[in-house]
Amino acid sequence: MGCKEKSLNTMGEIRKEKGMKMYPEELERALLKVQKPGRYVGGEALSVVKDKKDVEVRFAFCFPDIYEIGMSHMGIKILYGAFNRVPYFWCERVFAPWVDMEAEMTARGVSLYALESGDPVKDFDFIGFTLQYELSYTNILNMLKLAGIPLRSADRTELFNIVVAGGPCACNPEPLADFFDLFFLGDGEEVDLEVMELYRQCKKEGASKGEFLRRASQIQGVYVPSLYDVDYHPDGTVKSYTPKEGVPATVRKCSINDMDSAYFPDSFPVPMIEVVHDRVSVEVLRGCIRGCRFCQAGFLYRPFREKSIETIDRQCRDLCASTGYDEISLSSLSTSDYSRLNELLDRLHTWTEQQKVSLSLPSLRVDNFSPELMARVNSVRKSGLTFAPEAGSQRLRDVINKNVTQEELMRTVTVAFREGWTRIKLYFMIGLPTETMEDVLAILSLGQDVVDAFYQCKDKPKGKAVEVSLSAAAFVPKPFTPFQWFGQDTMEVLREKQRELKSKNPSRRVSVSYHGAETSFLEAAFARGDRRLCAVLEKAVEYGLRMDGWDECFDFDKWMEAFAACGLDPAFYASRQRGFDEVFPWDHLDYGVTKGFLMEECRRAYAAKTTPNCREKCSGCGAGCFKGGICVGGR
Amino acid sequence: MGDVKNVRIWFQKTGAAKYISHLDLTRCMARALKLSGLPVWYTEGFNPHIYMTFSMPLSLGVSGLRECMDIRLTEEAGLEEAAEKLRHYLPQDISVLSAAVPEDPFDAIAYGDYELRLESEAPECLWLAIQELLAQDAVLVKKHTKKGEKEVDIKPHFTQMEHKAMPGWLALRAVLPCGLQGSVNPSLLLEALSEHKNLRPYVEITRTKLLKKDFSDIR
Ligand code: SF4
Ligand code: SF4
Repeated sequence: MGCKEKSLNTMGEIRKEKGMKMYPEELERALLKVQKPGRYVGGEALSVVKDKKDVEVRFAFCFPDIYEIGMSHMGIKILYGAFNRVPYFWCERVFAPWVDMEAEMTARGVSLYALESGDPVKDFDFIGFTLQYELSYTNILNMLKLAGIPLRSADRTELFNIVVAGGPCACNPEPLADFFDLFFLGDGEEVDLEVMELYRQCKKEGASKGEFLRRASQIQGVYVPSLYDVDYHPDGTVKSYTPKEGVPATVRKCSINDMDSAYFPDSFPVPMIEVVHDRVSVEVLRGCIRGCRFCQAGFLYRPFREKSIETIDRQCRDLCASTGYDEISLSSLSTSDYSRLNELLDRLHTWTEQQKVSLSLPSLRVDNFSPELMARVNSVRKSGLTFAPEAGSQRLRDVINKNVTQEELMRTVTVAFREGWTRIKLYFMIGLPTETMEDVLAILSLGQDVVDAFYQCKDKPKGKAVEVSLSAAAFVPKPFTPFQWFGQDTMEVLREKQRELKSKNPSRRVSVSYHGAETSFLEAAFARGDRRLCAVLEKAVEYGLRMDGWDECFDFDKWMEAFAACGLDPAFYASRQRGFDEVFPWDHLDYGVTKGFLMEECRRAYAAKTTPNCREKCSGCGAGCFKGGICVGGR
Repeated sequence: MGDVKNVRIWFQKTGAAKYISHLDLTRCMARALKLSGLPVWYTEGFNPHIYMTFSMPLSLGVSGLRECMDIRLTEEAGLEEAAEKLRHYLPQDISVLSAAVPEDPFDAIAYGDYELRLESEAPECLWLAIQELLAQDAVLVKKHTKKGEKEVDIKPHFTQMEHKAMPGWLALRAVLPCGLQGSVNPSLLLEALSEHKNLRPYVEITRTKLLKKDFSDIR
């Protein structure tokens, strides 16, 4: 470790001697006019600066949101480390400038730049985006625009500025298909490197961009959208996807079977300003054993694969030793499902206490909350406890396969009250399939039951009042879930449900909050959209839309104008109930889980029948094709 | 407290680091101290943290060439070595100059020595404008305080400035009150220029050092 850091440091010194800046000189005059200038200057400890003459392929890792959010994201840290480990690759970070900085950059003619070198993004071989949420799509196009790179793949004819993306939303990348040269499906840490190697090879051979893309499309996990022709039925639904030039008819995602040998970084750039998750986070497992039917991540990342205690322990030690953080988050979709959680915590406690490092779990489950567990992880105390029953009635929880019972929840909150907590936050969704107003109102009774449980609890904290907050998000049906056929509740219906929730709230100790129906509607349109939406995105960016995830920027009316200008109806994508025989824009992408399994799960949902989790019993979802994780290991 | 020794760390905050707040700086320092493995003293209590105390915080955007903070070491550690270790783990634009035994308490700090570089096509003209400004009976600017806005006369603080005109720049040196008894922010001069003279040149501000009452360097 000492050796590596030495070399990074020397790079820093070289840069200092040459008087190099991490950001373009012209920006000096703008930085004090914008909020949080520290977002735009780089210079963090452990950021990787290489000598350009040793580098053959430059990769600009673009996070389509602001610095504080991007720097809290695990994926960027894994890939940054994996790419930079190769001496002739150099990966740098790029974040979306907030609107004030965007205006300054535009006014000064400064194009989007990377934080390590300060070089313009248009000088990079690869421009890679991570697709985390649909509402960041305009930021992607806006960033390309700020970089001065042609938006459409067809307008970038050279073997250069290859625009790529990965991440969960790559499972239906069609609304972005015209802008990207290729998408990575599934786990990226190996296939990304393979494609970068291929590019390097193609450069040496003087191959064309077309040749490079054809060759890339033969690699598992690589989807080149331009090599597939789409035909539509007169009613607007997809008729067929036709592969061209001998590319595979379906593209299967990459899945790393052995999480212990998979690359994981031992350092990452440590932000100088405070970011959302300002701590070390170590991934303890990938995938999830549970098949909550609304949850896209639960299906996309199958199978469930754990790291060994030894690996997690080493990775925690390494990251604490390189970054200096004193908090570790053990992260994953469902960390408390780690099979040997107590043993893992024991192991970590052998050194974390003495080094004054605290541990936190990102999510708690209703069914395994215990005072013992709470005593061993910190940082939950501050903000109160959060659980996600997701639906108010038992019937609806069975529909969505969320195996939480009323009794478990009551037991859990009673334990929490006894331990001194008085603030409980419960997450729900409204607009779930088969939901009636009765189900919606059951959310309120559950909230009331929690309040009652507080008053009935003999050992509750004295002199304190209970606060129960209920948060109701609008359900967005996603591809690769049993609800991918479901027509989302219209905005009117969602608003009606929200009104009921607000007006029928029985208790002053209960508060109700919900998100806008409009953003959920838009998210639903893009989640299950097709290629024709590319035109809408282009229009939206032309109209100046971006940062749609931020209330102060979101402009629903402008969005509707953009749809209208392209002659498309967002309701066709969001609210239309689809038939089992419909061809989906993502049917040629293969995440292991079969469409047949999803249909069966859909039928079971409507019959309110639950399905056991992968640890209890294999349901033959199809992800067994990867021959890894829980599908082959014992349960 | 046992055998603890106060150590004063002298450092610079420049380049990218001038754009981070004082709170961010303390976080960076805490992480670097943790990494350095130096035998730092932790505060006692429910939530122990590394003991650090800073002299006068710099405003966002102002560079500092000779800033200091005090830490405590629980074991004997070479000062040179301590400086070297800490330097290694800090971001490149927060650079450690040296570590030393503190001679003066922080409340002995009375002034900051500032350099202001104002961008100007005609630096001599800008200097004339500044002189005109300071020739007024009083130079009132609005100061934002916790209790709301109030008008202050900054004239007495800026009359002693040195100046130097360079191609494209006017450099000013001002020694301004900077201490626990009260501070004058060098940017007030720019506010006065803007309010009274309608001039808004781009400026780079650097605090070159901190001084005692008798204008000698704090040590
Ligand atoms: S527990 Fe359910 S909601 Fe959570 S990640 Fe797993 S499948 Fe998704
Ligand atoms: S194949 Fe079986 S064990 Fe594997 S992910 Fe699917 S349901 Fe779970």
